[in-house]
Amino acid sequence: MKHHKQSWQKLVATARAYRDPREAAAPYGFAVRVASQASVGRAAGTWGLLEKFALRGLIAACTFSLVAIAFGYSTASGEHDDEVASNDIVGEILNLS
Amino acid sequence: MQIMADETFDLAGCLNRVRQQDQSASRALVEHLYPLVIRIVRARLPRRVAEEDLAQDIFLKMFTRLAQYQGVVPFSHWVSRIAVTTCIDQLRAQQRRPELRWADLSASQAEVLDNVLTDARDETPSDALAAHELVHKLLGQLSPADQTVIRMLDLEQKTIAEISQFTGWGQSMIKVRAFRARRKLQKLFQTLKETEKS
Repeated sequence: MKHHKQSWQKLVATARAYRDPREAAAPYGFAVRVASQASVGRAAGTWGLLEKFALRGLIAACTFSLVAIAFGYSTASGEHDDEVASNDIVGEILNLS
Repeated sequence: MQIMADETFDLAGCLNRVRQQDQSASRALVEHLYPLVIRIVRARLPRRVAEEDLAQDIFLKMFTRLAQYQGVVPFSHWVSRIAVTTCIDQLRAQQRRPELRWADLSASQAEVLDNVLTDARDETPSDALAAHELVHKLLGQLSPADQTVIRMLDLEQKTIAEISQFTGWGQSMIKVRAFRARRKLQKLFQTLKETEKS
């Protein structure tokens, strides 16, 4: 274990002496590309938020519409029943006469 | 560190302008931070990933999360943390490397390893590149988190507290990871020695 530790320490000490010769400055056009993508991302983020709320609004509107249609149908069908009932009453009156 | 030396750069003012969607300030911030980010990326670059692509991902994350920066830690530390965690995520996304064997080493890497294993001679500066590549190969055999801990401890000579700051991991967790990683490295050395003999 001790020998391994010494070998590893010797190896990393040698590796630390290595200096990366590559350029550390941003390549030409990199900053422009990243800045424009970031601004597009920010805009998309704002639209994404709007889309999220719009989608929720749409779901709520659809739910209300379905509820309204369901109630409207039952009310309408209820009215129709009354109409049928009143027709029957007329028929009954006619029959009576 | 270059970013520390560049004292003329008005970071606070630049950040304020970036928050107000100023494109030129965003460009200036990227150019200012690039040396810091690329140094982290190059030290941890996963296989088959272009360093510019990874640097771009890091900067885009930085801009997305800028509203979360409270100024509690220096901005360069906050960006370094994003860079380190992005590199770890990229390494995790990769498949595990096949087992490293003596035959996988180049002639110069094998010579450096032979020297450190046998204490044959002191290393020369010309061995630095081979040693650097060899260390990367050996660390590549460890899990991304273990690689990060050993790289920061032994290559970058950071303290446990600094590693905790850069990664967000607890200090005891870092110590445990370092201990386990060293054991794995020991096994790797043994395996390499055995494959050399065979």
